[in-house]
Amino acid sequence: MGTFRASDRLAAEELFHACYPRLAGWIRRLVDDDDTAHEIASEAFTRLLAKWSSLDNPRSYLYMIATNLIRDHWRKVGRERRALRAVSATIPAESVHYPAQDVDVRALIQSLPDRLRQPFLLHYYAGFPVRDVAEMLGRPEGTVKADLHHARARLRAVLGEAHG
Amino acid sequence: MDEPRDDVDTWLEERVTPLLPRPGTFDQIRKRARRRKLGQAAMAAGAAAVVVAAAIVVPQLVQSGHVGGAPAAVSGSTTPVQQNTAGPVRPSASGTSGPDVTSATPRPTSAPVPPNFAASSVTFVSTNDGWVIGQAGTPGQCGPPDPNKCTSLAATGDAGQTWQGVPAPVTGAPDGATGVSQVRFLDGVSGWAFGPQLYATHDSSQGWKRIPTGGMRVIGLETVNGVAFAIWARCAGTGPDFAADCTSFSLYSSPAGQDAWAPVAGATGLSAPAGAPASAQLVLTGGRGYLLAPGGKLISGPVTSPARWRPVSTSLGVPATLPCAPGAAEIGGHPLQAMLASTGPGLALLCAGQGSGDSQVKTLYYSADRGRSWASVGRASARTIAMSLSGTPDGPVLVATSDGIDVSANAPGNGALSWRTARGATAPGGYSYVGMTTSAQGVAVPANVGLDAVWFTYDGGAHWQKSRVR
Repeated sequence: MGTFRASDRLAAEELFHACYPRLAGWIRRLVDDDDTAHEIASEAFTRLLAKWSSLDNPRSYLYMIATNLIRDHWRKVGRERRALRAVSATIPAESVHYPAQDVDVRALIQSLPDRLRQPFLLHYYAGFPVRDVAEMLGRPEGTVKADLHHARARLRAVLGEAHG
Repeated sequence: MDEPRDDVDTWLEERVTPLLPRPGTFDQIRKRARRRKLGQAAMAAGAAAVVVAAAIVVPQLVQSGHVGGAPAAVSGSTTPVQQNTAGPVRPSASGTSGPDVTSATPRPTSAPVPPNFAASSVTFVSTNDGWVIGQAGTPGQCGPPDPNKCTSLAATGDAGQTWQGVPAPVTGAPDGATGVSQVRFLDGVSGWAFGPQLYATHDSSQGWKRIPTGGMRVIGLETVNGVAFAIWARCAGTGPDFAADCTSFSLYSSPAGQDAWAPVAGATGLSAPAGAPASAQLVLTGGRGYLLAPGGKLISGPVTSPARWRPVSTSLGVPATLPCAPGAAEIGGHPLQAMLASTGPGLALLCAGQGSGDSQVKTLYYSADRGRSWASVGRASARTIAMSLSGTPDGPVLVATSDGIDVSANAPGNGALSWRTARGATAPGGYSYVGMTTSAQGVAVPANVGLDAVWFTYDGGAHWQKSRVR
């Protein structure tokens, strides 16, 4: 059960070399940290390989896992940030510079509800067609399209306010 | 998606700069995946096999003292009994059967178990890997994030020899419509905390998400074969008695890996005659589920695919009548007057009388034809109050009582039923729950949650050992 056939290994290694750099780069853009990006990408591939024989679409699975791991990372960071804020509430805040647009949009995407964020990341960010996203999330295509529309509308509205 | 270009497009269209893997990454991933795959195989063997029984959520007879000022958790738990094919349990050096301590289940980030762990429910997905939920710590000093939410979760990978604290849903003990008291896991990844709220994790309990239930309370949940089933009820109970005054029950299901809960056709809007407060219980086997519904109806359906559930009928085509009805719910939400379990190839039903003082008439019935017909197979000791029923893959049944645990010497329907009292099951106040992970190994939750422990058996229920959750 624990063995990995040679043909599977070759296929997995091929997928790894083909997908890892872009996946890790994609993750880095969302978490803004090389180490975390490697960690999440490695974990996504680990889960992929652990389920290799039962998957029809490994790439979809890979990005789904990565999306969930990114969400978990954001939540963890958010918790830590809140805790830090609570601890340092009495200390005057130092000004911190972030590269404006990336952080703006990333923070906004983080603030989207799960229901909208998942299809948004998978479609616009990972490049999966709407039909694939619908299949991955187990939702009708029409629902995914509506979710994408709502996600964009929200982002556009907030960006408009921020930049207007 | 034809949308006007905007800042979102500009950002999305920026080129993603590839991040090359560090040397040796693929080999590390391959090794980790192999270890994990071994673990999943062991868990899948347990989860896909016949789920033999689900015992009863019952009230705690002994309300323990408050734990650090926290309200005492509602006791009781259910966990599916799974036939484990991962291998026999190794005897320990002392000659008494002990747990096989080799665990391959991925463990989430862990920490020491908080002090004063008052266990209310336990679940195992293999002989080694289990979780216990309860209230721990001191209100006002729990968390983060909320110092007043003290629901805690502990995990074991060595059959209860050691426990580690793992992330739990951020909610409190049951209080009317809020809080959780029960836990179930399908495998090392997907699990649920419920009673009365519903939370789900799909990442080995690293993160928990609250599932909206539209004001309904989740009073039962079981999972098998990649599907989770739950009883959602409309209730008016307050405080820890969250499942009291329930008047309408519906069965919901969701693929285990998703949070896509939907009503199960044929098993919705169930109520007792005249709308009297009632209770319900769910038992899943490897291929079939049974809902012990208000009024004593038995509804059944497949667990492997979305399909309509139907009332179980006799050979004459009329709805089968159970020997007893579940009656009103007790604290914890499950019936105490009728307890259903899957055991061996059949179903067992324990009909418990109203009870007088510390005694109660308890009659066991057995069905070898999926609940279509029932035969009385004997009586259990009347000296105690029954609190939970569990079956085993081999057929014998166990009854957790207000005084200990009674074990049948043989399988129901296989000759005259005789009982023996388990040794070592000495928790003052008895046990609110007993469940068998295999024919040999099982776990019991004490009715007195102040004992911060659960009990294990490794020899089919004859002997029990205490495991402190700390």
